[in-house]
Amino acid sequence: MTVRSVDRPLVEQLPQAGRRNRRPLAGLLQSAVTPRVILIGMCFLYLVPFYWMATTALKDNPELNIYPPTLWPLAPNPGNFISAIRYIPFPQFFINSVILTAGTAIGAGISNPLIAYGFARIKWPGRDFVFAIVMATIFVPFPVLILGLFDVFTKLGWIDTFLPLIIPAFFGNPFYIFLMRQFLLQLPVEISDSARIDGARELQIFWHIILPLAKPAVAVVIIFAAVAAWNEFLLPLIYLQDESRYPLAIGLQFFRSQHNVQYNLLMAASTLVVLPVLALFLGFQKFFIEGVSVGAVKG
Amino acid sequence: MIAVPRLRLDKKDRQSLLVALPFIGPWVIGFLAFTAYPIYYSFTISFTRYSGFGDATNIGFTNYEHMYHDVLFWKSMYNTLYYVALAVPVGLVIAIALGLAMNQKVREVAIYRAAIYAPSILPIYALTFIFIVLLNPRFGVLNYAIVTLGGPSINWLGDPAWTKVSVVILAQLGAGGPALIFLAAIRGIPSELYESAALDGAGAIRRFYHITLPLLTPVILYDLILGLILGLQIFTPAYVLTQGGAGAGAGQYVAGPDNSLMFYVLYLYKTAFQFTDMGYASALATVLFLVSVVLALAIMRTSRSWVHYEVT
Amino acid sequence: MRSFSGRGWTASLICLSVVVAACAQGGGSSGPPLAGCKSGTTLATFWTSHTPPDSDSLKHVVDTYNGQSSVGCVKMVQVPGSETDVTKLMTAVRGGSGPDVYMLDRFTVAERAAAGVLTDLTKYGAGNLSSKYVDFAWKEATFQGKPYALPLDTDVRALWYRKDLLKAAGVDITPLDPANGPVTIDTVRTMANKVNHQDASGAYDVIGFVPWVDQGWHYTWGFDFGGSFFDSGSCKVTPTDPKIVQAFTTMFGDWAKALGPEKAQTWVSSFLPPNNPPQQWPFLTGKTAFIITGDWPLNWVKQYKPDLQYGVTYIPIPKTGDTPSTWAGGWSLVIPTGAKHADAGYDFMKYLAGPDGMKTYVTETQHLPTWKSLGSDASLYQGDHTFFATKLLPVAKSRPPIPVGAFYWDQLSTAQDAVVRGSATADKALADVATNTNAKLQQFCPLK
Repeated sequence: MTVRSVDRPLVEQLPQAGRRNRRPLAGLLQSAVTPRVILIGMCFLYLVPFYWMATTALKDNPELNIYPPTLWPLAPNPGNFISAIRYIPFPQFFINSVILTAGTAIGAGISNPLIAYGFARIKWPGRDFVFAIVMATIFVPFPVLILGLFDVFTKLGWIDTFLPLIIPAFFGNPFYIFLMRQFLLQLPVEISDSARIDGARELQIFWHIILPLAKPAVAVVIIFAAVAAWNEFLLPLIYLQDESRYPLAIGLQFFRSQHNVQYNLLMAASTLVVLPVLALFLGFQKFFIEGVSVGAVKG
Repeated sequence: MIAVPRLRLDKKDRQSLLVALPFIGPWVIGFLAFTAYPIYYSFTISFTRYSGFGDATNIGFTNYEHMYHDVLFWKSMYNTLYYVALAVPVGLVIAIALGLAMNQKVREVAIYRAAIYAPSILPIYALTFIFIVLLNPRFGVLNYAIVTLGGPSINWLGDPAWTKVSVVILAQLGAGGPALIFLAAIRGIPSELYESAALDGAGAIRRFYHITLPLLTPVILYDLILGLILGLQIFTPAYVLTQGGAGAGAGQYVAGPDNSLMFYVLYLYKTAFQFTDMGYASALATVLFLVSVVLALAIMRTSRSWVHYEVT
Repeated sequence: MRSFSGRGWTASLICLSVVVAACAQGGGSSGPPLAGCKSGTTLATFWTSHTPPDSDSLKHVVDTYNGQSSVGCVKMVQVPGSETDVTKLMTAVRGGSGPDVYMLDRFTVAERAAAGVLTDLTKYGAGNLSSKYVDFAWKEATFQGKPYALPLDTDVRALWYRKDLLKAAGVDITPLDPANGPVTIDTVRTMANKVNHQDASGAYDVIGFVPWVDQGWHYTWGFDFGGSFFDSGSCKVTPTDPKIVQAFTTMFGDWAKALGPEKAQTWVSSFLPPNNPPQQWPFLTGKTAFIITGDWPLNWVKQYKPDLQYGVTYIPIPKTGDTPSTWAGGWSLVIPTGAKHADAGYDFMKYLAGPDGMKTYVTETQHLPTWKSLGSDASLYQGDHTFFATKLLPVAKSRPPIPVGAFYWDQLSTAQDAVVRGSATADKALADVATNTNAKLQQFCPLK
C-alpha cells in the first residue's frame, strides 16, 4: 500500500490553472465550516443505530407498544440494564467473550508477525509462489470449510471447548499476514543485512530489531483480530455446546424466544456488549491511527 | 507472473529454506489442517448423498446435475452477485468518502472518527434488529426522512425490488473499518504533492483526482478484494432478517419477499443444517469457491492497468 | 528490549493462562449427579431451545423429577435454536457430545429420523405408549412405523376477532360466537371490509383481515378447504390437490388483489415486520380486526392488554356445512444418536411426556397436551383456552410426517408468497412445489 516512487512529479502533469480568481466554492472548502457540517451530518447518520439502541434499552414494555415509536423514552428505566444482565448469564458470557477475544488477539499478535517475517524478510526458494497460495486462501469461503473443520475438531476432541475458536488464530490469517508483510517490506533491507553480517540469527533479528519497529502494525492486527473475535457469531454457534461457554454474541439470541422478542432487554444487553470495544477504540485511537499511518508513510 | 519454484535446490537454497521454516511453519501446519483438508473433505462429500450421520452414499455428479435444475440455486447465486455488484462499489465510495472526512483538520476529529467507526463494531445480530425498526415503511426514520424530502415511501423489507438495497445500506454502517484503512493511506500521501499542486492553482477536486486517487489505488484494490470475498459470503443479516426461515415460528417469508434475500450462503446453511443434505451443501460450497476464485482473479488481472505501486 | 524482560514474561503468562483456561473449559458434561438428585442416579443432559416462561416450567418439571427418581438425574441446558434450526443439535451429535434428551419440533421428527440423528425408541418399549397419545401427535412422532419421539405439547389455531373494532364499524358480531358454529369465509370478508381504513396518503392503517399473516399459512387454509398434502400410497406430496389450489386462489391470490397487493404488503411490513415483539401485535394495537393465530397470544393479552375486547372462534369455512378444521403443531422429546445416558434420558422423557410431567407443564404454560386423558381434563384450562382444548383440538390435523418436511414447508411458503404478490397463479406455483419436493422425497420412498 505504499508509494516507493512517483514517475514524474504529478504536479507537472496538471494543466496550468493560471491566475484565475479562486472559485467561491474552493474558498468555502478551505474554511473549517464545511468539513464540520459534513462531519456532523455523517456522524448523525452513523449514530442513529446507537441512539435507537440506547433509547430502546431504556424503555419499558408498555412503551414498546406505542405506535409510532417514541423518540425519547417517556420514563427512562435504567433498571433494564440490570434486568438484561440477569435475564441471561451475562457475567459468564462476558468472561467467555473476554477469554475468546484475548486468546484470539494473542494468537494473531504472535503468529502473523512471525509468518509475515518469513515472507518479507527472508529470501528463500519458492517464497513468492507459496505466498500466492496464502493469498489464494482468502478466496475460500467459510462454508466450504465448515464440515471438514468440524470433522478435524471432532477427531481432536475439541468440540465444546474454546480451542477451535482460539487455536487457529495461532496459525496465521491471510489478511493479517498480508498487512504485516506490506509493513515489513518497507523496513530497509540494510537493517537485517547488517545484523546478519554481525552473526545474529534470524530469530534474534526478528525479536530484537524488526518486531520493535513493527509495533504499530502488530497493534493494528491485534485490534482487528480482537474486534472480530468479540463479535464472532457463526463459529461459536457451531463449536460450542454447553451454555456456560457461550460468548456474548450468541448469548444475545436468548432474548428471542419462540413467540417473543425482549426488545428492550436485547438492546440493553447489546449496548453493554459494545461498550468495551468502544472504550478500547477511544483509548487506543491515536495509537491505532498512527500505527496504520506509519505503515503507509514509510519509504 | 509468479515463478513456479525450481525443484532442484542447491545448498544455499536449502539453508535459506531451513531458516525460513520456523517462521512460516505455523502457517503451513494451519493451512494443511484447517484449510487444505477441509477443502478436500468438502470436495469429496459433494459427490455423495450424506445427511451428516451414518454413511455417505456415492452418487457421482448427481448433486451438480441437480444444481443446474435447482431454481433456488440460480436465485441465490443471482441474489448474491446482485448484492456484490451493488455493495462493493458503493462500499468503496463510502469508505473513501469517510476516510477523507476523518482526515479533516478539525480539532475534535477524534470524536467524529469514533462515531463513524462505532457501528462497525456493533454485534451484527443486534444491529439487524435495530435496522428492521429503522426501515419500517410507516414509522421508520429512513422513510420519514425520504418522505419529508419529497420521495416515495419505500417498503424496504417487503418489496422484492428493495430488500437487497436494504442489506447494502445495512452493510454501509460497517464502513468504518475500511474507512480507517483509507484514512491511513491518505495520511501517507506526502503533503508536498498537494502543496505544489495548490501553488499551481489546482482546486481541491482536481487534487483529489490526480493525486489522492491514483496513490490510493493499492488500497482500493485491497478493499475491492475484501469487499468481494465478504460480499459473496454474506450471511448474518439475511439469517436474522429471515429468522433462519422455515417453520411456523419464522416470519411470513422463507427468505424475504420472493426469496429476494435468499443469499447463497444462507441457502447453503439451510441445505446443510435444516434439510440435512450435506452432500448437496458441499457441492454448493465447491461452486462458490470456484466463482470466488474466478471473480477475484478477474479483479487482480484488470488491476494491472489501474493500480500504481511498487513494492520491493 | 534487549532481553526477555518483564514484558515478555507477562505476555507469556497471559498466553499460558488463556490456553489453560481454554483447556480447562473443555471436557464433557458428565460428572457426579447434581444437587437435588438422589444418589446412585445417572446424569442425563436435556437440551431445549425454549426460553422463559416455558423453560421455567420445564425446569420445574425437571426439578420434580430429579427429586423423586432413582434412575436419572437431569441437567437442563438452554440452547439457541428454533423449530427447524437444529444446527446445534446436529453438530453436537456429530461431535459426539450431544445431549441425552432433546426437545424437538414434532413436525421435524420424520426428517431428523431419516437423517439418522435420532434413536429408535422401540427398544425402550415406546411402542406400547401409542394409544396413550392423541392420534395425530403419535403419527408425527413415528417414521417408517417406528417411534422416534414422545409427543409433548401441542397448539392449535383459531380465528381471533376484535369485538370493539367490529361493533364500531357497525358489524353484528353475534354470528361469530363459537356457540353458533363456524362462520363462512364470505361472512368474515364482508365484516372485515367494513373495518378497512386508509390514511391520508392512501396507505392502509387498518385492514380488517389479512388471511395470510401470522398463522394463516398454506397448511391452515389447505386443511380448511379440505385438501390433502401427502399421498402415502404413491409416496408423493400433493400440493396440487384442487382443494389446496382453491384455498390458495381464494385466500391468497384473490384476497390480496381485492386489497391491492402492494398496499397490503406495505401494511404487513409496517405492522408485522420480522421479529415483531408481542406488544406490537397488530391485533393488540387495533390495526386489524381478524387474525388467525394460535393459543399463545392468550398470555400476551393477559400481560399487555388485559381489558381487550376480543373473541375466538373456529377458522372460517369455505361454505356452510363444511366441517371446521385447524392444524396442530407442537413439540416432542427425542433421544439423539450416540447419547451416552440414553436409559436415564428415556426415564425422564417418560415422566415429562407422561401424565404427571405433562400436566404440570401444560397447566403452567397453557399449552395443549397430547396425552389423551389430559385432553378432557377441563381443570387444566383457564378462560378462553378451554375453547381451544375442547372444540379445536378434536378437529385438528397435522402436517404429513415426511423426511423432507422442512423443505416442503419452505416450498409452500414460497408459493404462498408468489400467489399473494400475484406473480404466479396458484396452479403453477403449487405445481412447482410438487415437482421440487417430490424430487427430494423420491430417495425415501416407499414410506410406511
